This record gives sequence, C-alpha cells and structure tokens, in this order.
Amino acid sequence: MIKFHPSQHMLKVFSAGDLPLSLSLAMSAHIELCPDCAAQAERFEALLSEDIWQEHDVENADFGDMLQAIMAKPLETQIKPTVPAKVMTHIAGKDYLLPTAFRQFKELKWSGFGAISRARVISDEQNVRASLLHIGKNGRIPEHHHKGYELTLLLSGCFSDETGTYHKGDFIWIDGDKSHSPYTEEGCLCYAVQDAPLHFVRGMSKVLNPLGNLIY
Amino acid sequence: MIKLIPKSMGNVLNSHSIKLLDEEQQAINDRLDRVAKSQDRVAFSELFKFFAPKIRSHGLNKFRQEVMAMELVQETMMLVWRKAVQFDASKGKASTWIYTIMRNYSFDMLRKIQSNKEDLMSEDLWTTIDVEEEGDDQDHLQSRNILSFIDELPALQKEVVQEIYINDKTQQELADQLSVPLGTIKSRLRLAMAKLRQMMEEKS
Repeated sequence: MIKFHPSQHMLKVFSAGDLPLSLSLAMSAHIELCPDCAAQAERFEALLSEDIWQEHDVENADFGDMLQAIMAKPLETQIKPTVPAKVMTHIAGKDYLLPTAFRQFKELKWSGFGAISRARVISDEQNVRASLLHIGKNGRIPEHHHKGYELTLLLSGCFSDETGTYHKGDFIWIDGDKSHSPYTEEGCLCYAVQDAPLHFVRGMSKVLNPLGNLIY
Repeated sequence: MIKLIPKSMGNVLNSHSIKLLDEEQQAINDRLDRVAKSQDRVAFSELFKFFAPKIRSHGLNKFRQEVMAMELVQETMMLVWRKAVQFDASKGKASTWIYTIMRNYSFDMLRKIQSNKEDLMSEDLWTTIDVEEEGDDQDHLQSRNILSFIDELPALQKEVVQEIYINDKTQQELADQLSVPLGTIKSRLRLAMAKLRQMMEEKS
C-alpha cells in the first residue's frame, strides 16, 4: 500500500511538462505504481488542456503552407502503439525490472561502496544528481542532511528512517534542513534525486563526506 | 467549421467558465474521427484553424521565440494528422489528446534546449495506461515462464540458479555448502544462464 505521494502541485507541474527530466522520471514511475495519482494526473491534463484551448484572444499568424505540407504526409494506419519494453538491471545478485520511464537506460553502470551501490541516471542538469541506489541487506546510509531537496522513490523492497517505514511506490520528499539515516533489513532499490551533494553530520560518518558525492 | 464562441460572449465566458463548450468538444471529437476514418482534409483543416494559433501562442509563452513556437505548431499538428487513428474517444476528449501531444513534444524541445539532449524521453514518461497494463501482464507471464524454465534445467544447474537467484546465496557460500570449487559454481551458473536464455528465445 503506497502511503507517500507527490503533492498536487508537483502532479500539476509534471502534467504540464514543466518538471525537469530527473523529477519527471520519478513522477512517471510513481504514477505507474499508483492508480490514485494516475487519475489525478489525468485530471490535471484535462484541466490544463481546457485552460489553453479556451483562450480566445490569441493572435492569428501566417502559417504559410504548413497545413498543406502536413496533409501531404501519409497517415499511420496502425492502431495499437507498440508495447514498450521495460528494461531489467542486474545488481547485487538480483534482476530488477525498472519502470517504463527508465526503458532507455539499458546500460546502467553500477559502482559500489560496502552495502551501497549506485548507478547514475542523470548528471546533465545543473546541481542535480539522479541515480538508482541499491542498499544491500541490513544496509544503512549514515545520517546525513541536504542543503536542498532529496527525493526518494522506492522501487523495490522497503526501508525505514527516523520518520517511518516506506514501501514500494512510496514517493518520499525531504526538504532542506532535515537529516535522516535510512536503514533496510531486506535490501532495497530506490531512485533518488538531489539538488545538492549530501553532507554527513555524525561522528565517524564525517569521514564519509567524500562518500556523499559517490552515493548520489 | 468548428463553432467558435462569438467575441462578445468570450469575455462573459472567461469570467464564468474555464471550459470549452460541450458542443465545441464534440465538434473537435467528430473532426478527429473523420481524419482517422477517411483522412478527411476539410475536417483536418478546421482542426488546424482552431488549434494552430493557440499552440503558437502557448509556444511563444514557453520558448519566447517565433521559430520554436512555429516548430511546436508544425510538429504537434503533424502528429495529430499522422496518429489520428490512435485516438480513442472512450478514454477522453480529443482536445485533451491533442494537448498531451503538444505537451510531449514541447518537453522534448525544452530538454534539447536546456541539456542539448535529443533523447525524446516524453514517450517513456507519458505512455498510455493501456500500454502499461499490457506490459505488466507480460512481466507476470515472463516471471512465471522463467520459473518453469528453471524447473527444466538439469539438476545441478537448477540447484545453482535456485540457491543464488531465489535464496540469495553468494557464489562462495554455495561453493562452501556443496563442497565444490568456486569455479565449478561459476561454470554451472554460466551454463544455466545460457540454457535459460535459449529457452526464453525459443518460447517467445
């Protein structure tokens, strides 16, 4: 049962196509697992669509021969779109089927440190890091906090932190100055997006600060 | 011609309603249907007249450049024309379908501008619900198949696959448990994987 969902605002901005790819991937993957949010996103599409099409004060323009050029092309006759193939990723001895949104990521490069393995998904957005993160059995990420936000979407398994226990599909958004130390008994696979490198705060963990840059 | 709201009524409607009139929605659905069924050029021209200026205006807001706004019009309307048969009226309004085509194309355009990437991610982010359900069925089917394939493996290979992939043992743990060299485990596993791959290719 999914208990943590994106906000209405995020659903709306996603439906408008205005979220960056890093967060759009998380929204799409959550929606694939959550029928409630899927219905909300559809509702926002309908509302946004009406907002735009009901605009009557638009300036007309000269579209030249665009219309004729379009109609010179053949129509497609195939009704069913081809079924998208999902891709698997192999990590820590297991195969995981990734959400549809990740189907272009066929060759993820995993690198590890103890129980933690990471595969970078996006690094071309300024200040943003997006990665798949695998934490092995009984693994813990040392207590850390972020200067920006941290989004974790749980794709498989479950983990707990100071605030609660999370399950597959949960969309966990942490803002600014909170710190936490996620722990997993059975192991888990997450998709994580951050807009600033991690900073470890406690004791020996401080020596791990270079690790912050590795994990996310 | 799609019935447009007279200018004088437009203001009244703007303050009282955020919706297209039902008749307008219906007119759009009908025209898209005619494009899909008989490549009706008159119907498509009417859709173009209605949507093109609004798409351009939206594109100008988003990209602040005439060239890009026009690209958005051209590509959106091209997709509406070419993919008209894919529209399914039982799943929603034609106007919303056209909106999602525009939204997807503009997402890919933005990504091209901001990250210089032409990875066309929008089709992966917003696939239709139907398609996903089909995918899920196939996944269940696939994992069921894999389990039955594992059963068909020769006993020694089957044991290695089960212990490592289902019971989560490491290769070393299994080697210790069976009192065989690690290399033996590795080669049994390699043979088992080759066999499984072959079975899956034959059956699918």
